[in-house]
Amino acid sequence: MASTATTASYTAPDAKTASRPWFFTRPAAKTGLVSWLTTVDHKKIGLLYAVFALFFFLVGGVEALLIRVQLAIPNNTFISHQLYNELFTMHATTMIFLAVMPLSAAFFNYMMPLQIGARDVAFPRLNGFAFWVFLAGAVVLNVGWFTKAGAPDVGWFGYAPLTSNQFSQQFVGDSSTDLWIMGLQILGVSSIIGSLNFIVTIINMRAPGLTMMRLPVFTWMTLFTAFLIILSFPAITIALVELMMDRSFGTGFFEVSKGGMPILWQHLFWIFGHPEVYILILPAMGIVSEILPTFSRKPLFGYPIVVFSGAVIGFLGFGVWSHHMFTTGMGTVATAAFSLATMAIAVPTGVKIFNWVGTLWGGQIHTRTPMMFALGFIWMFMMGGFSGVMHSAAPADAQQQDSYFVVAHFHYVLIGGSVFALLAGIHYWFPLVFGRIVSEFWGKLSFWVIFVGFNTTFFPMHFLGLNGMPRRTAVYDGNMGWNSANLVSTIGAFILAVGIGIYFAVIVYTYFKGKKTSHDVWDARTLEWSVPSTPPPEHNFHVTPTVHARDAYWYEKTHAKEIAAEKAKVAAETESHGGIHMPSQSWFPLVTAIGLLVGGLFFAHHNYIGAIVGGVILLVGVLGWAFEGPGGYHLHVHPDGTVTGGEGQDEAHH
Amino acid sequence: MSAHAGTIDHHHDHTTVTGIPNKKLFMWAFLASDCMFFGALISSHVIYRLHPVPNATDPLKVFSLELTSFSTFILLMSSLLMALAVGASQKGKIEATRKMLLGTIFFGLIFLGCQVYEFTHFVHLGMTLKSDVFGSTFYTLTGTHGIHVAIGVLWLVFMYIRTFKPADASKAWVARAFTQFLAFAVATVTIMFLMLEVTHAGAEHGYSLASITGALTHTPLAAVSTTAFALSIALLFVLGRFKQPVDFGEANAIDVESMGLYWHFVDIVWIVIFTVVYLLEYL
Amino acid sequence: MSAHAATAHDSPEVHAEHHDDGKFHVFVQIAMILAVITGIEIVLIYLPLAKWLIVSSLVLLSVVKFLMVIFWFMHLKFDKIFCTILFFIGLILSGGTVAALMLLFGAKDSVPLTAQTIYAEQAAENE
Repeated sequence: MASTATTASYTAPDAKTASRPWFFTRPAAKTGLVSWLTTVDHKKIGLLYAVFALFFFLVGGVEALLIRVQLAIPNNTFISHQLYNELFTMHATTMIFLAVMPLSAAFFNYMMPLQIGARDVAFPRLNGFAFWVFLAGAVVLNVGWFTKAGAPDVGWFGYAPLTSNQFSQQFVGDSSTDLWIMGLQILGVSSIIGSLNFIVTIINMRAPGLTMMRLPVFTWMTLFTAFLIILSFPAITIALVELMMDRSFGTGFFEVSKGGMPILWQHLFWIFGHPEVYILILPAMGIVSEILPTFSRKPLFGYPIVVFSGAVIGFLGFGVWSHHMFTTGMGTVATAAFSLATMAIAVPTGVKIFNWVGTLWGGQIHTRTPMMFALGFIWMFMMGGFSGVMHSAAPADAQQQDSYFVVAHFHYVLIGGSVFALLAGIHYWFPLVFGRIVSEFWGKLSFWVIFVGFNTTFFPMHFLGLNGMPRRTAVYDGNMGWNSANLVSTIGAFILAVGIGIYFAVIVYTYFKGKKTSHDVWDARTLEWSVPSTPPPEHNFHVTPTVHARDAYWYEKTHAKEIAAEKAKVAAETESHGGIHMPSQSWFPLVTAIGLLVGGLFFAHHNYIGAIVGGVILLVGVLGWAFEGPGGYHLHVHPDGTVTGGEGQDEAHH
Repeated sequence: MSAHAGTIDHHHDHTTVTGIPNKKLFMWAFLASDCMFFGALISSHVIYRLHPVPNATDPLKVFSLELTSFSTFILLMSSLLMALAVGASQKGKIEATRKMLLGTIFFGLIFLGCQVYEFTHFVHLGMTLKSDVFGSTFYTLTGTHGIHVAIGVLWLVFMYIRTFKPADASKAWVARAFTQFLAFAVATVTIMFLMLEVTHAGAEHGYSLASITGALTHTPLAAVSTTAFALSIALLFVLGRFKQPVDFGEANAIDVESMGLYWHFVDIVWIVIFTVVYLLEYL
Repeated sequence: MSAHAATAHDSPEVHAEHHDDGKFHVFVQIAMILAVITGIEIVLIYLPLAKWLIVSSLVLLSVVKFLMVIFWFMHLKFDKIFCTILFFIGLILSGGTVAALMLLFGAKDSVPLTAQTIYAEQAAENE
């Protein structure tokens, strides 16, 4: 962690703890529950995100299976319509906010600092805080399952006026929509804070020699995603604030009788919602851009163009939101403008696909499991893109809007795109993170079952949509011509479930009993693989790398003598400055997040005293955080590779 | 990372790739995000002003341009004081920093007081959050800005208290700091309450020494508030006379600067709000 | 690392001093200008000029105040250009979004029914 000038003001950062109040003593546990609760290590935080994301991925999957069972046959009575509404709402909300986004965050956290040669992110405690707040948001969103009010049931996009008190307050104390609002707000805080941290880290904490155009593509995509998050979330924050004001304080933002316009919700939501889908796909594109070169044994084709396209997609993504509203009667000019802009976005996306194909072309293809998922990504994401371009033509969209055609489109880009890439990334980086490699046979088997199951589930939906089956309906009649396609789709869903089951079983098994590996098992190209051991040590690198070219680790491997001499020099210099500076752990990110959780839960139930209590806990957390000081301690790496030092063990001042 | 004797280069941070301190970069990125936040709020307000609704509040009947102009001027001056506080902290001048911070707090509270007064006045005239969409958008927009100001004031108070942290780490400080904070809290709450009492009395009986002193003492609550206010100010004065060496200097200027960025941003948002929400209504 | 900085930059202390001496005065002057501009804005709305002229002037004056605060008080003029770029990304995106929303809601097709009755009444009165 780079120390700012502020540390100079601390006369005795590691002084005897007796001189400071007990609540300012920094925790030093490196194993056990306390080490996880107080961690500021980007790698541990990444693992926390991953574990919970994967858990919620399974929750979302179960929600989906229940939906598919209900839709397997016409006029089914498997579940009530109320429960059905809760399920499709929560399936989407869970998958988007509690599965894909945090799984992307897991990779940002774990891999990005390693890829830029840093020891941690710019603000380690803030990083921990972002995770705990994510968990708080996840709790608030799901608490409804255990209450009479039930889970939120207004769709993941919560259109007004369905979300108003008039239509979404089935009985006094029905807080499901209020919990949905609060849960999303809390998750927004987590995402924005995490993203601000990543931006500062990538801009300001790169290793010497690592210019922006030498950054790994995954790190570039992390940067673009972070910008998308900080610039798009405010719109949904405001939309949710206005909705909350309508429901709790009787304002008229979306209330027609007071002069409000419900369509304003749609605009504000989609100003967020469209960049959100790029937030979901850019990290995936980054992962694929790392995997393809490694398993084609050649560098990424057209690196500058791939980076530039990512930026263009991000930027244009802010100008197309009303393509979700083609059928709302915005007028010819507006509809045409958004239609054109949407078609334009297909261009940089297509450019990326061509560059990926260019990477494969002439390469020595190794069809290992991560590569299978990455190849699957290219094909499946392309198909999702084709149906997307079909949507961009407003007249065609008039038929497709709100039908299963849309469901097919976004599942192709989200599962075929985002999820495939994330599953690829797990296999790819598993040896780095855990020091074990997943069995080829079982990994590939899980891929094929997932691939078959996924296509069986969602391909028929294109036809269902064009044949008129509407979204979000709990039952359909038997003489619409939709029966066989729905049944096939449900069968596909269960095949997909089996595939996911195999995938998870294999991963868990490998964690405990998998074959151990040497750290650079794929002969990869980027810096995260250059760590001294797998799992990496807490301080990441014994010596901060100096970067000479793109694909920095490849350069290191092909210029071993030069690099070794350089590292010896840097090691000596670092030691002469006091050693490796590490951030101290802290309780306060957790305390502050608990304040947010407590306050949020009470506020959503209109219990303002409780909300104030939560606010006080939050304030105490923030004050403790501010006044405990930046902390920090030093580690010393010795020429034989051993590491000494730790929290509270610094003898002299810095 | 050692600073050379006396001066830290506040324009360049050697430990970062760009030379921009991490906290500064973080704050600018956050402000870029906050632009979108206020953009969405301002949009909501402006959209509803584009197409008037029958029986809506007429802003010109409730607005008091004199009051709003005054509070705009106050906020601009608070921005000046904040910039001076940052400058003082960068030169390691603790006393000057404290004075400027107090000045900014004071002006920020005046701004908030004007807003509290304005809101109570509008509510008296029948314009509430619920009454119509103008009330909804107006209070939400200016209220959110007001909350930003309040958070800024809170942050300034904590920064002020922080400047008293003793250099000797073994000296007790938490209790003292807590007392200072409590004094600020009591002073703020009581002055807001008393301001409302005085303005009510002024509106009813006209402003005079008699009506003001009457307002400050006419109920037990008012009398207690007046006493509490006086005591808390006195306490702040006493606690502010700390002469021992403190653990606050040039190295902490980055924190004051970051806070300054936030405070100035709140000011520029008000510049936009003043024009768009108030001035444009008069055309 | 701090050792090179002292020699590489031509005495940052001296540079900073020149800069700092003037800083106080510059800040006060800017504050005065801001106050004067605010005063002009208030007077402007009472002047019997064409509406488009007053609106444009108000917008222009606000922009000037805005830019003065960000470039001097917030120090953007003297900082690395990246800070300016970063902030302007948010500012321009925000401005663009506000403009797009106003165009969308200003379009004829987006006039709500309640407003339509008012406009119809106004049109009838003007005849």
